[in-house]
Amino acid sequence: MKKGFALVLICLLLLTACSSNSGSKNSGNTAADTGKTENTTATEPAQAKEITIWAWDPAFNIAALEVAKAEYAKTNPDVKINIVEYAQADIIQKLNTGLNSGTTKGLPNIVLIEDYRSQSFLQSYKDSFYDLSSSIKGTDFADYKSGPTSLDGKQYGIPFDSGVTGLYLRTDYLEQAGYKLADLQDIDWKQYIEIGKAVKEKTGKALITLDPNDLGLIRVMIQSAGEWYLKEDGKTPNIAGNAPLKEAFEIYKELTESNVAKVHADWSQFVAALNSGDVASVPTGNWITPSITAEASQSGKWGIAPLPKLTVNKSVHASNLGGSSWYVMNVDGKETAADFMAKTFGSNVEMYQKLLTDIGVIGTFKAAAGGEAYSQANEFFSGQKIVSDFAAWTEQIPSVNYGINTYAIEDILIVEMQNYLNGKDIDSVLSDAQAQAESQIK
Amino acid sequence: MHQTNSKLRFRTKSVLTGWSFVLLAVILIFVFYFYPMLQALILSFQTGTGSNLTFTGFDNYSRLLSDKTFIVSVKNTFIYLLVQVPLMIILALFISVLLNDSKLRFKGFFRTAIFLPCVTSLVAYSVVFKYLFSGNGLVNTMLLKLHLVSAPIEWITDPFWAKITIIIAITWRWTGYNMIFYLSALQNIDHSIYEAAKIDGASSTRQFFGITVPLLKPIILFTSITSTIGTLQLFDEVMNITKGGPGNATQTISQYIYNLSFKYAADFGYAATVSYSIVIMIALLSVIQFKVAGDKNG
Repeated sequence: MKKGFALVLICLLLLTACSSNSGSKNSGNTAADTGKTENTTATEPAQAKEITIWAWDPAFNIAALEVAKAEYAKTNPDVKINIVEYAQADIIQKLNTGLNSGTTKGLPNIVLIEDYRSQSFLQSYKDSFYDLSSSIKGTDFADYKSGPTSLDGKQYGIPFDSGVTGLYLRTDYLEQAGYKLADLQDIDWKQYIEIGKAVKEKTGKALITLDPNDLGLIRVMIQSAGEWYLKEDGKTPNIAGNAPLKEAFEIYKELTESNVAKVHADWSQFVAALNSGDVASVPTGNWITPSITAEASQSGKWGIAPLPKLTVNKSVHASNLGGSSWYVMNVDGKETAADFMAKTFGSNVEMYQKLLTDIGVIGTFKAAAGGEAYSQANEFFSGQKIVSDFAAWTEQIPSVNYGINTYAIEDILIVEMQNYLNGKDIDSVLSDAQAQAESQIK
Repeated sequence: MHQTNSKLRFRTKSVLTGWSFVLLAVILIFVFYFYPMLQALILSFQTGTGSNLTFTGFDNYSRLLSDKTFIVSVKNTFIYLLVQVPLMIILALFISVLLNDSKLRFKGFFRTAIFLPCVTSLVAYSVVFKYLFSGNGLVNTMLLKLHLVSAPIEWITDPFWAKITIIIAITWRWTGYNMIFYLSALQNIDHSIYEAAKIDGASSTRQFFGITVPLLKPIILFTSITSTIGTLQLFDEVMNITKGGPGNATQTISQYIYNLSFKYAADFGYAATVSYSIVIMIALLSVIQFKVAGDKNG
């Protein structure tokens, strides 16, 4: 009796030990599973019947996916495509935990990843993403997109929307201050602040709204000069002695000190500031267009000028903010997923015209820029051909290596920026940030 | 001999029967508590992004000591702890004594009203607070209307006021929770003790410090330990109201763990190390609290 019970106890303990081990062994199992299915797909070339895609922003990315889904259904009516909407932060969490746990169950076939983060996923989870080199050509897309979407010479991402920036302006406020849109075609950031002072004096409106927790503007400025937080290798921090970064910091401080900037704390306050007419300009990515045009009463009052530039280096009037690309996961159904992407976002010029007219998506597929939709005048912006302007600026965006630590370094810089605004010397601000970045990034 | 043998057999049998009752719970605890804890400990000795982890010994722990962001996060967390926990406990004690007054009318209503914040969703209330305290939010509008301030207070975007906002938010959320413990303890105090004190001429303040506080001591210890643990793990409010900002002025240790895992290039090894630092801190603080406030046998 006693022995029997002990035996049961031991068996139970062993069982638990096994079950707790299975977690770490899971990856092996699934790899075997995948191998099996690969074999079956090899013998029966039938495609996967169902693929799942994760993306954020229903008005933009999801809407674009719906267009692509309808387009793909014309030639492949049997494939069921599930589009799942998650917030970007949720996608990052789910991907990280899913990939890290070693089990591919629950992961999608295609996922949208922001360009600033894509390398951290590609490098951290090698073999988890499907090599698309045979499905699409990286050179078909805007050059600056190749850095984030490829690794070791292989193309992993399908470059999607352009984060090309422009300077959105309230032309009515500018006119009250004695300026025209034409006066802002070739200015630097210092001239921009001077104009802002005049606008503030004449209209009482702020020039710009800033979020102290978001250095997007700094990113925009340094990329316009072909520099980044990291050196070309994507690993060495490039903060102390980075002339564009130094000038960007100085401009940021001048913006806050010359009383032309308003402060906002989150996205909704940011959009509210634009729509309520509180600010005269927004230097940001073209994806803001739908948010600006949402306030129909301001039609005809906005215009878009090229981005102001820095005085140092080879800064140009074009830069990038945000932007994201599609990635196919190395799980069952990858061939179907790759086929879907190649036939839609990877080649379909017609579809890009539809994306632009229906949703306002400016893609980075080079061939699409020649289409008709790209040269249409926009009534909201007083007939300005904003898309062809953006398309032209897209070509000038300097390519930089975002590396894998954009947000880690930015959090260090946000703190140092506060110190700088409170009076700390700029050179020690940058060298302190450099030292901290070096100790944190390994 | 035979008797002792059967006694022994009986004892083993009863021990085994006892174990068989708790076996399932023990197994579940091992699988879902101790195994992950052990895994996390192992993880804390590894470095690398995502799944490219390599063993680096105590590297993460030495990095912890020179990591400015970590030190700031610890400092912020302890500011919340030192300001908010005593504030909340005194407030909860005060309110519970008021609500325990037998002459008070609408007791049920007041108790529910003060307890209600504890059952609201953490995220929902954080979002509401964010809007209440925003630049042109209700709080600023009221302060301006009452002429208490001349310009709107930067509740969320100023480092000092952002901390105050967080403290107000967590105090609002958790005071009622602690109050419930005090209320139930107060109801266990025999009313005759107070009557005797009254006959002896003790004032109500004297009664409070002489009777209520000493008799509530175990509960005060309990609430201060749970509040300490809660504050050291503070995450939702900061994440939703200020995102740790401005700069890292309101960032807590838990939020730093989140950032290391999901905002930056996923460094789960170092994040596990930071998690273990919280474990160590909670253990130390709980021991200290027991030593200072606990009874010798408790």
